Amino acid sequence: MKDQRSEKILYGEMTQRNRNFPVFSVCLLIKTVSLTGGINESVSSLIITNTLSWFFCLFRGLFSKKHIEPKSPSQNVPGWKLFGKVAARESPPKDSRTIQQEYEARAGKAGSGGTSPTQPQHGRRKNLDFEPLSTTALILEDRPSNLPAKPVEEAQRHRQEYDEMVAEAKKRELKEAQRKRKEMKERFKQEDSIANAMVVWNHDILPNWDNMRNTRRVRELWWQGLPPNVRGKVWSLAIGNELNITPELYDIFLSRAKERWRSFSETGSEADDGASLADRESSLDLIKLDISRTFPPLFIFQKGGPYHDLLHSVLGAYTCYRPDVGYVQGMSFIAAVLILNLEEADAFIAFANLLNKPCQLAFFRVDHDLMLKYFAAFEVFFEENLPRLFNHFQISNLTPDLYLIDWIFTLYSKSLPLDVACRVWDVFCRDGEEFLFRTGLGILRLYEDVLLQMDFIHSAQFLTRLPEDIDSDRLFACIVAMPMLNGNKKWSQVSSSKHKKTGK
Amino acid sequence: MAYAYLFKYIIIGDTGVGKSCLLLQFTDKRFQPVHDLTIGVEFGARMITIDGKQIKLQIWDTAGQESFRSITRSYYRGAAGALLVYDITRRDTFNHLTTWLEDARQHSNSNMVIMLIGNKSDLESRREVKKEEGEAFAREHGLIFMETSAKTASNVEEAFINTAKEIYEKIQEGVFDINNEANGIKIGPQHATTNSTLSGSQGGQQAGGGCC
Repeated sequence: MKDQRSEKILYGEMTQRNRNFPVFSVCLLIKTVSLTGGINESVSSLIITNTLSWFFCLFRGLFSKKHIEPKSPSQNVPGWKLFGKVAARESPPKDSRTIQQEYEARAGKAGSGGTSPTQPQHGRRKNLDFEPLSTTALILEDRPSNLPAKPVEEAQRHRQEYDEMVAEAKKRELKEAQRKRKEMKERFKQEDSIANAMVVWNHDILPNWDNMRNTRRVRELWWQGLPPNVRGKVWSLAIGNELNITPELYDIFLSRAKERWRSFSETGSEADDGASLADRESSLDLIKLDISRTFPPLFIFQKGGPYHDLLHSVLGAYTCYRPDVGYVQGMSFIAAVLILNLEEADAFIAFANLLNKPCQLAFFRVDHDLMLKYFAAFEVFFEENLPRLFNHFQISNLTPDLYLIDWIFTLYSKSLPLDVACRVWDVFCRDGEEFLFRTGLGILRLYEDVLLQMDFIHSAQFLTRLPEDIDSDRLFACIVAMPMLNGNKKWSQVSSSKHKKTGK
Repeated sequence: MAYAYLFKYIIIGDTGVGKSCLLLQFTDKRFQPVHDLTIGVEFGARMITIDGKQIKLQIWDTAGQESFRSITRSYYRGAAGALLVYDITRRDTFNHLTTWLEDARQHSNSNMVIMLIGNKSDLESRREVKKEEGEAFAREHGLIFMETSAKTASNVEEAFINTAKEIYEKIQEGVFDINNEANGIKIGPQHATTNSTLSGSQGGQQAGGGCC
């Protein structure tokens, strides 16, 4: 009874969704197995396989290059290959009649009640045949004896429909296999180029940094994105250390911060000069609160995570180092990205120097007037590059502060996928603040068509919560198409004229 | 989607009191225990029905940190309603209400309806602010008051919808000049044809559903 019901459901799903091949094959798989009684096992192994492959895909790009031999051509023969684990069918496809006969033979055995040693009833794994033989037979199976036989034409039509379905599915699988092969090839190519770039950066560029950093070749290579394992190094060099912070100085500020936390948690107050108790309390509390809200999906900065204390230290030391700026929300994201790419003291040095750049200083001091001037300069280039969208936003009253604040404060690390954000950081380190605003224009260009169709609230929601699947190549292609030129004026000229205009 | 009115709301209050979680619960009916922190402003929208009229709520969810006040101030303009949120488990968030209120009164339209919300009512064991204190503060300053839990969704619908009812009543009484968009109210395309399919005031009921 139970079996019958599941058959019905599965069959229903299969016919209903047969356009979607993966679902189709999954149904086939389950069906095949259920006939031999091992449905639970197969479903759980299916989930495990999927989860593993998902994990694999997720982390593959993050770790260093691993070679996986491409599949041998024989494995790519179209067949009913369902998952990586199962070898593709290599025998020539059987025609449906043979399949039906085979199924009947099996069903007959099972039905006769005798448990033949070759056909155990409880479907132990080793006996599972993942070829969808039984399933195909199921569809063509003659009806139960208590129902009238199908008319010949109907049976024929069904058989024909079935053959078409199978042919269609095969075609799709072939296409899918080709797509996968192409994807793998792309990925290998990409990994090769990363490996090559790594060698060039390590052996040619980094040892001759000062001479080479501004050469055309280096700038071009830089634009492509830095290989992950030289990224931190290049960022550090590019950000520089005009504040002359040493690791020792970091230790001093860190121990000062620790002292404050200790005295604060012991006495609940502290007698020190400077900011009021309430301010300091909220700053200490706030860092704690915000660390858990920094990249929550990564689970590495949250309490108990590997980088929780590190992030706490860097932010704490900074508030002691720069009490005039203090801790401002958004900083935790910047510190976190640096910690992911640099050693603790180097991360601090890069962090302090980065926040000391004029644009960052204006934002993190929340100097509203100065921020408005940056937005005004941005609008000049917005109008120049994307006049239609600029007009559309003007009409719907969507001002750039609504989306730019989040983008600029966190240097896109909160709004773009982390790998894309890192690539933006790469070029930001090369080109400076101008690139932050150029990236903003690139995002607007990338989604221009969608945004033109949206009203105020939809655009605002869209821009403050960008799609999670932004592709970095597409985004960078859009950024390239946004020259930062207004007439013959560059970003620096336009922005400084804005700064002068209102007398600041 | 057609609506009779559009109301702009702003959600304000200290950082970490649950402003974004309240919004997410109201618009998406879900709770995220660890929400991203809000930098600048984020947005939400939902359609509700009051007195048989479709009303679109356009909600501005602001950053709570003190440093961002100068930015937040520019977002009051044109708001018809404000949700002023504190956390019942953190006394300091309650103590800061006066400065929030000063800000709100100073930078908004004088008719803006303000709803005081004591959030995290599910954390009774960690409560630091009594419900009576919230009620007293609201009474003293002429605000509506509710305790909510973005986690359990308790009173979340009510908080947003009761604020809209209050605004709606003010429109009926002619307090709001609906032709002046600086009041945070926009007349929608649907207004002329009164929609009577959904009658009665539908406070806590399922209204509108997801985002619109």
